[in-house]
Amino acid sequence: MGSLYRSEPVALCQLFLQSEASYSCLSELGELGMVQLKDLNVTVSAFQRKFVTEVRRCEEMERKLRFLEKEIREDDIVILDTGDNPEAPAPREMTDLELMFERLVKEVRDLNTSAEALKQNFLDLTQLKHILRKTHSFFDEVDRHYDSALIDLQAEGTESVNLLADDSLLVTPHTIRFEFVAGVVERQHLSAFERMLWRISMGNVLIKQVDIETPLEDPITGNSVLKSVFLIFFQGEQLKAKVKKVCAGFHATIYPCPETKAQRREMAMGVMTRIEDLNTVITQTEVHRFALLSSIAESIRIWSIKVRKIKTIYHAMNWFNIDITQKCLIGECWCPVAQLERIQRALQRGAAKSGCSESAAILNRMDTREQPPTYHSTNKFTSAFQGIVDSYGVASYREVNPALFTIISFPFLFSLMFGDAGHGFFMFLAGLLMVIFENRLIRMRITVDVWDIFFGGRYVILLMGLFSIYAGFMYNDFFSKPLNIFGSSWSTDLKNMTVDGRYASLSPINNTNGVPYFAGIDPVWQMSSNKITFLNSFKMKISIIFGVTQMFFGVILSFQNHRYFNERINIYCEFIPEMIFLFCIFGYLVILIFYKWLAYDASEASCAPSLLIGLINMFLMQYDTKEDGCPPLFKGQQAVQTCLLVLCILCVPWLLLVKPLVKHYERKRGLTYGAARSGYVLMRNGDIELQASHSTLSIQSGDVLLQDQQRDEVVHHVDGDDEECLSNASEETEVRMPCNANTILV
Amino acid sequence: MNSLNFNIDFGYLEGLVRGFKSGIVKQADYLNLMQCETLDDLKLHLQSTDYGNFLSNEPSPLQVSIIDDKIREKLVIEFEHMRTQSVVPLSTFLDYITYGYMIDNIVLLITGTLHQHTISELIPKCHPLGSFEQMEALSIASTLLELYNAVLVDTPLAPYFIDCISEQDIDELNIEIIRNTLYRAYLEDFYKFCQTLGSTTADYMSEVLAFEADRRAITITINSFGTELTKDDRATLFPRCGKLFPEGHSALVRADDYEHVRAVAEFYSEYRILFEESGNNPTEKTLEDKFFEHEVMLMKKAFLEQFHFGIFYAYVKLKEQENRNIVWIAECVAQRHQTRIDGYIPIF
Repeated sequence: MGSLYRSEPVALCQLFLQSEASYSCLSELGELGMVQLKDLNVTVSAFQRKFVTEVRRCEEMERKLRFLEKEIREDDIVILDTGDNPEAPAPREMTDLELMFERLVKEVRDLNTSAEALKQNFLDLTQLKHILRKTHSFFDEVDRHYDSALIDLQAEGTESVNLLADDSLLVTPHTIRFEFVAGVVERQHLSAFERMLWRISMGNVLIKQVDIETPLEDPITGNSVLKSVFLIFFQGEQLKAKVKKVCAGFHATIYPCPETKAQRREMAMGVMTRIEDLNTVITQTEVHRFALLSSIAESIRIWSIKVRKIKTIYHAMNWFNIDITQKCLIGECWCPVAQLERIQRALQRGAAKSGCSESAAILNRMDTREQPPTYHSTNKFTSAFQGIVDSYGVASYREVNPALFTIISFPFLFSLMFGDAGHGFFMFLAGLLMVIFENRLIRMRITVDVWDIFFGGRYVILLMGLFSIYAGFMYNDFFSKPLNIFGSSWSTDLKNMTVDGRYASLSPINNTNGVPYFAGIDPVWQMSSNKITFLNSFKMKISIIFGVTQMFFGVILSFQNHRYFNERINIYCEFIPEMIFLFCIFGYLVILIFYKWLAYDASEASCAPSLLIGLINMFLMQYDTKEDGCPPLFKGQQAVQTCLLVLCILCVPWLLLVKPLVKHYERKRGLTYGAARSGYVLMRNGDIELQASHSTLSIQSGDVLLQDQQRDEVVHHVDGDDEECLSNASEETEVRMPCNANTILV
Repeated sequence: MNSLNFNIDFGYLEGLVRGFKSGIVKQADYLNLMQCETLDDLKLHLQSTDYGNFLSNEPSPLQVSIIDDKIREKLVIEFEHMRTQSVVPLSTFLDYITYGYMIDNIVLLITGTLHQHTISELIPKCHPLGSFEQMEALSIASTLLELYNAVLVDTPLAPYFIDCISEQDIDELNIEIIRNTLYRAYLEDFYKFCQTLGSTTADYMSEVLAFEADRRAITITINSFGTELTKDDRATLFPRCGKLFPEGHSALVRADDYEHVRAVAEFYSEYRILFEESGNNPTEKTLEDKFFEHEVMLMKKAFLEQFHFGIFYAYVKLKEQENRNIVWIAECVAQRHQTRIDGYIPIF
């Protein structure tokens, strides 16, 4: 059997690493990726472990890298990803990396602060520019009104002098001094701002506001915000203080705005030139920043990988025990037996790299009663299928791995549902293209989630396409149209047809040439009006046949497991009743389907019984005396079905109760015996001083003993009665669920 | 709002808040946190809880205030998320929760400006859940009337403020009175609102708010000993939705010292226990802590029932307690004050 049939044998090994060599050895093991380390310090909390400072330093470096990456992303610089996989750097390089990151972060920070200051300056100036521009138009309007009024007055003044009332109105703006404040506030706060100003002044302010159309950039957050220019006119010093306080409360920026037109113009000119100067400075800083960040972007990916590797190595080292002399790290790991050689070599490489002798790293295989982890070695073809199976549940150690059979059964069952040769061909083509250009596509490193799913399952898609072509051929469906490849067996000459309105009825007795269509469904069905009825009945039967076959297959695989693990009780109390149960209902049904296909031809079609009703009646034990004069399906049908039903019902308590009861009695009887036996095993595992009692064993073996005892406890715990009942009940439901599904299908 | 239709509008959020609740730091985690020797240890351990990497972007010498801010930030993000997802009446309910924080913020700002602090240094100290648009302009008001007319009239707190409008200038005693008057009006209004919601929400929230009201009444009484607050004024500050109303209130008004308050509490079984178990010795827990413990117990009860809004209130309160706990432990770690480190109040 191939290695995929059962998971690979895995051994528990003990690792002895000299302190100096441990880092590079673990680095090599990490690159190999064939070892699952065990955490031996579960009871020690995270910050009390040995290498916690190193881990923390790595975290600090990661933080700096994250900061740099964020800055790079903000500037939309592409991060170079060559796909290189650098080795973990030596521990002494860590300091260099730290210093370099520190320097870069500082540089970027400095640039940021200066850029921020510049931008703040720029924002202030732009806002001032807007204020001047907006208020300019406003004041202009006022002036024009005033001027025109003045001209009117002069024109009229020569004629009459009875305009005293008007005159006094006109003079008002000159005699009472209105003060004003000009500034900029965020547009979303504008209404609340106005309302509050109105309230504190009892309505004694005049507010003019104009929106700034272009959004301005906030120098700190970098977001663009919409703002408005406002002008507040009021009277009196007290009100002025209040207005200023409100402005401060709403983060409004107030700018000095000169009173006369000429001054304003002059100021506007000044602002424009300053903005231009500032622009050049800002561009220069940005160019500098861009250059710096681009150079960082080239290597940041490599750095992150390096730092993560260092962190992972120290993290793994935290899982090791440290012996009393502080000279070596002791760890436990699971590794596939077949890979032991490679692991040994990797350890030697690591030891050599750190300059220690080859004996610096020792891998020592141990005996254990623990359940090892499941390891399936997969390749690029099988990994997708293994992934599908694993998403439902990972098989226990050395159990039969369903992935092997899934390679064929999954695409096949898919194709039964898909069932179109034309569409299947496209799918096949897509899968084929991905397979052919595999290497090139991997190199392109497309980082879209959906693509990962498709590309990861390219072999699945390929097979699904292939099987769909086959199923489509069998269903005679090509882009939902039939293909008449072998020539239909039905003849459509009008002589023998009964024409009824728009439809012509073809009789299977008169209108066929007696030879079945060579393969698949006859194309004539695709254009018949009862196509759905015919094909549904056919496909449903096919589904039941395949579904039941699959269930039988699954139960047989469980038999393989029981035999492999030598669990006789499971064979008698699970496998056999399951088989009987399945056979009595669904096996029988499948036999009936085939029997019906063979036993009835077109001339007897009216007498063919409905299997669905038949199955229901089998459970209801109803056997009607024949009204239509048709004979039963076969002689003695009633006796056979009653017999099957009784068997089936007997299986239920058998399946549910026998195994838990047996286990219960066994445990009751064997409690003392079992304890003695496990004690014996413990002694052997200790393996140092057989004659000594447990308490006098040396410390180290004592540790081993303790662990073994714990493990035994765990095993016993799982064996509880309730657990057993539950697991059996779930076993039962496992069998029942697909049965129910099938019943619904029927 | 009945259990039949509850899930249509609020099922998602209830599920969400129950999920959040299971992320509350457990007793086992506190035991680990207490063994920390530096704040970086604390950070490392908090990473294994629901807080995850919330401190990972902070540079290394950590400060307690940063931890505090970050914990609060996380709660605020969660709360804002729920608030934006919610519809009436849950959204109104959640708004009510924020009013309490708004009152605290207003009082903080007034006190701050009285002590000549600038607004900009006070704003970061405000709880973000209770921030509102006009908050930063609060310093313009010098009298209570101005405060109401200019600032508070646009906020949801305006109706609560009606009772304390006067031409008086703001001073220390005033502020405490404002806080308690506002809080009283707020609690009573919240209580009334919860009654309109009916069913489990009303049942649960009336119990919780009654406790909150009684706690305030007792605390106000104890704190008023030796101050200028007259007994009549004291009576006006008691929220009238608790179990102490009305008999307990009249007794509290007459109280002159701690023993009197204890005697009043004797008549109420749940508060009697709190007084019996508390004390001022360093080994005993203070009355305040006992109140917190009782609150946590009440809040945990919210999660035993389904289809009500109480869990949102309870979650915010529990998170706040957790915040206090972690900050307490962090302070103890930072000041190397290991003996008092177990003074936190375990939640789960």
